[in-house]
Amino acid sequence: MSANIELDVRGVYKNFGGLQALNGVNFSIRGNELIGLIGPNGAGKTTLTNVLDGVYKPSSGEVRLNGRRIDGLPPYEIARRGLGRTFQVTRAFRRMTVMENMLVPAMALHPTARQRDFHAKAMEVLEFLTIEHLTNEYGRSLSGGQQKLLELGRLLMLDPDIIILDEPFAGVHPKLMETIYEYIRTVHEQGKAFIIISHDMDSIFTLSKRLLVLNFGELIADGDPAEVKEDPAVIEAYLGEEEEEGVPAVIPAGRLAEGPALSEAEGPALSEAEGTEEAPDA
Amino acid sequence: MKRLPLLWILAVGLLILALAAPVLLRNQQYWLFIAIQAYFWAMLASSWALLAGYAGQFSFGHIAFMAIAAYTSGILGRDLGWSPVSGIIAGTLMAGVVGLFIGYLCLRLRRTYLALFTIAFAEIFRLAVNAELDLTGGPMGLYIDYLLDTTSYVPYYYIMLGLLLGSLGFMYWLANSRFGLFFRSIREDEEAAAAMGVHIVRYKIMAFVVTSMIAGLAGAVDHHLIGFIAPTELIIGRMSLVIAMAVIGGVESLLGAALGAIFIHFSLEWLQQIPVPASLMPKLIAMQPTLEKFGLGVGDRGLMTYAWRMVAFGLLLMLTLRFWRNGLIHPIIDRLTRQRARKETVAKRVQAAEVESS
Repeated sequence: MSANIELDVRGVYKNFGGLQALNGVNFSIRGNELIGLIGPNGAGKTTLTNVLDGVYKPSSGEVRLNGRRIDGLPPYEIARRGLGRTFQVTRAFRRMTVMENMLVPAMALHPTARQRDFHAKAMEVLEFLTIEHLTNEYGRSLSGGQQKLLELGRLLMLDPDIIILDEPFAGVHPKLMETIYEYIRTVHEQGKAFIIISHDMDSIFTLSKRLLVLNFGELIADGDPAEVKEDPAVIEAYLGEEEEEGVPAVIPAGRLAEGPALSEAEGPALSEAEGTEEAPDA
Repeated sequence: MKRLPLLWILAVGLLILALAAPVLLRNQQYWLFIAIQAYFWAMLASSWALLAGYAGQFSFGHIAFMAIAAYTSGILGRDLGWSPVSGIIAGTLMAGVVGLFIGYLCLRLRRTYLALFTIAFAEIFRLAVNAELDLTGGPMGLYIDYLLDTTSYVPYYYIMLGLLLGSLGFMYWLANSRFGLFFRSIREDEEAAAAMGVHIVRYKIMAFVVTSMIAGLAGAVDHHLIGFIAPTELIIGRMSLVIAMAVIGGVESLLGAALGAIFIHFSLEWLQQIPVPASLMPKLIAMQPTLEKFGLGVGDRGLMTYAWRMVAFGLLLMLTLRFWRNGLIHPIIDRLTRQRARKETVAKRVQAAEVESS
């Protein structure tokens, strides 16, 4: 199945009023790639996710999944076609049991199936995520970390080709981090492509085999993580050097470019990225 | 496992009681009428519970949908000579069509905005019916043909009971099918549901259409029994009563909401005049002047409460909302059905904790 995965993002622009959140983004995914997506706050990472997932319609440009255009389609249609995502803030269905949470995507995807047909698969996934003992509990009675795992499990029931994880490591206990690493590696080996958005540079450099860097809505780097790390443009974006003419004047607008949708939980700011970038290989 | 038979015994007992009620109430057509009205409210409250409790669409338009079907059926019968049965079918479909339209308009509205929108819709509908004279009869109301050519309430009783059980059965099937899963996922988090592939547009509208049709069916049949409908039935207070019934019964439980409605309707009737033993009546009559100062009165059988019964229910509603968010009846049902699942989970949790600590 991995051989068939194709995502093409061609010249995608997205503006909110006068603010350019995405400024001509181009990239492609072939097969089960494991991609890290980084960039300073307000660079457009979540906007890009929302465009891919159908929450936003791009102002121009096109997105193709497995050869068919998906830009402008509603999120539920894109989800069925094989693109799944998590949100920055965990969004488990709180007043539904863990099993019911798991069955929602399965039933959405297989309209003629019966719920009990998916119990076994759901249990398998829950066991893999070490939360099988919580099957009959309501989502709201799970801890934050368990809800995060539930969200990852729910995503597997949708059986997407491409999985976008928005800040999967934010506020996560080290032990849980291991489980999430394990999840990503295993699911990746099963043939799924990943785009992981994170401010956690250690995780990004540990996991990803390809790195995309967004800055002011533009993809400023795309390639092997080790090379991207040395890229002067990337260093500049993170350290905020003001050498390029005209850039400083644009910064305030660019910072705002992603609009209110992002302001809620973009996580720790530049300082953390700077702090961890020193020792990515450790 | 031991709990399940108890639930079944209770359910079968209630069913036998409901079926035997006309025999038990043989000489009291009045209480039979009250029972029919209780079933009417139960259909409204349980379908509203499906819309608000399951699908999370807190609509104030339910009474309006009820009335749309009643008016449609009444007008078709008066102007075009349609039989009550075909009028009821047309009225129910009409409620569904308007439900579709309102559901579509409400797609992008959440919580407070949806509530405000549906209040506006219901009030505009009431005012339009009130202002219009030729079609609806305006404030004078509309006379509607009787469904059956009989003076007995017994056949009506079984019709309404059948409709209630039928609609409850249908809604139970719906709530336990994948549609129920989708409804609840939309209630919990619309964006997350969409990201999980749930066609949120389709299922939100579906919730509106199905519940509007059940409300419409109840309204059309009930008004072919009463023989009359007027805009005063559309006041927001009656909508609040539906909500109160569902909330006190348990808004996330169809059966809870239905039983809540039946319980409240009977209580409200009974509380109109709280019966007092005949031996105490002279004492009560002696207290009459004092009681009247407090807005109470003395009837021929006991204490008249007038508006105070509504105050009592307002308080009960507030207490329920504050202390028993799942209502008063639903927790009992839940206890009877979920006990086993709970125990299993707890056992597994204990196991897991042991494994972790060892």
